[in-house]
Amino acid sequence: MKKRVIALVLAALIAALTFSLAGCGTAKTPSTDAETSGQSAIEGSIKFTMGIDPEYPPFSYLGDDGDYTGFDVEICKAACDYLGWDFNVFAVNWDQKLIQLDNKECDCVWSGMTILDSMKEAGYVISRPYFDNEQVLLVKADSGFKSSADLAGKDVAVQLGTSGESLLNDDLKDLADIFGNVVTCDSFLKCFTELEGNAVDAVFVDRPVADSYVAEHDGYVIIDEDLGAEQYGIAFRSGDTELCAQIESAVDALVENGTYAEIATKYTDIDEGNLILLK
Amino acid sequence: MTLLNIILKMAEGLEKTCAIFFLTLLFAIPLGMIVALLRGSKFKIISAIARVYISVLRGTPLMLQLIAVTYGPYYLFGISISRNKLIPVVIAFTINYAAYFAEIYRSGIDSMPIGQYEAAQVLGYSKIQTFFKIILPQVIRRILPSLTNEIVTLVKDTSMAFTVSYQEMFTIGKQIANSQTSFVPFVVTGVFYYVFNAVVGFVMGRVEKKMSYYKI
Repeated sequence: MKKRVIALVLAALIAALTFSLAGCGTAKTPSTDAETSGQSAIEGSIKFTMGIDPEYPPFSYLGDDGDYTGFDVEICKAACDYLGWDFNVFAVNWDQKLIQLDNKECDCVWSGMTILDSMKEAGYVISRPYFDNEQVLLVKADSGFKSSADLAGKDVAVQLGTSGESLLNDDLKDLADIFGNVVTCDSFLKCFTELEGNAVDAVFVDRPVADSYVAEHDGYVIIDEDLGAEQYGIAFRSGDTELCAQIESAVDALVENGTYAEIATKYTDIDEGNLILLK
Repeated sequence: MTLLNIILKMAEGLEKTCAIFFLTLLFAIPLGMIVALLRGSKFKIISAIARVYISVLRGTPLMLQLIAVTYGPYYLFGISISRNKLIPVVIAFTINYAAYFAEIYRSGIDSMPIGQYEAAQVLGYSKIQTFFKIILPQVIRRILPSLTNEIVTLVKDTSMAFTVSYQEMFTIGKQIANSQTSFVPFVVTGVFYYVFNAVVGFVMGRVEKKMSYYKI
């Protein structure tokens, strides 16, 4: 009896293992070799995986249909369609995004990512900037806060691993010092939850994310003081210059044939004036 | 940032990690005993409630419990989210660890031979005296290794408090790693946790030796 049970369990394990291995086999694109990196093979069905922050509307988020969507995701998908590549999305852990990129879990990080000098210094290939961004403070409308000076001694939330966080640690240290506490959360949606539940008084966040939140939720206002002007770009692994050029030219083609503008109009929270490629 | 600066910064986080660790132990160790005793109660309803408590708390992720305790009251009753995150964090850790401790206590209590209860009765001990003077010390001796296991796990689990934006040691490690684009802070974090647990292991080892008097 006991032996039969053990045999059954073993059989089930082996079956499960075989199936999962078979699953891996089919998931791989046939024409590329073991390396899934888009750069390794130029022709044929190339598997291209974009790395996104899954909680970063309107650039990248989980859509109502359960698939990842957003401005960046749609542009990347259109670019892959244009190039005839197999398009995939991988949700990265935002504060580990570059490590995951190096680890080939994705082929680029493209998700409202601010270009930082430290990324270039570390050797990553960064695309041309495509979006002009700034940092704003999101507060509750009934709180009466009108400027950053009103927030002296108050608690401000920021997402860990975002440019906002680096700014508060660096260029905007003076601003951070007047705040009572800078609370780091693991996603912006959590920052907003903290604000909603009165655990913090403001959220330090990228302009389009704040715009998108204000458009969907009543009772919030944005304090806009031209804090931390910066630009969004796409990060590739060091050495992937060619891949970066391919994506850039595909995006250029989308701009030319109007697809880019078409996608942009779908995202009303994104101010077209900030889209560098449409200027 | 030099290594010394990283270590100093991490030490600030260590304080917050210690706060979770000690407060959780302070509340969960007695609460676990209460749950274990209720679980062994003769009244079926009480014992069933304790069983459900243990089953739910052990059966759901601690991370989810942290989120539920921190944000749940706001979504359900509109109570403001606590600014001092230590309170919800310690509540979540306490109710979770009490469930595990309760089962460890139960394993110890159930392992005591019935003859000891009978002998104590013959010698004129009351039920309460029997439990506290005869049974409990032996139980503690027996369960110490499993208890050490849980306590070591608790040290590492404190890093989960990050989900509800409590700035403990691991969060600080991540922050420094981010701003420095370096892996060194993670190594330092690992060393901090290891040393913490080495101390816990040493202390528990000493306690075990002290309690060896009760070994049968």
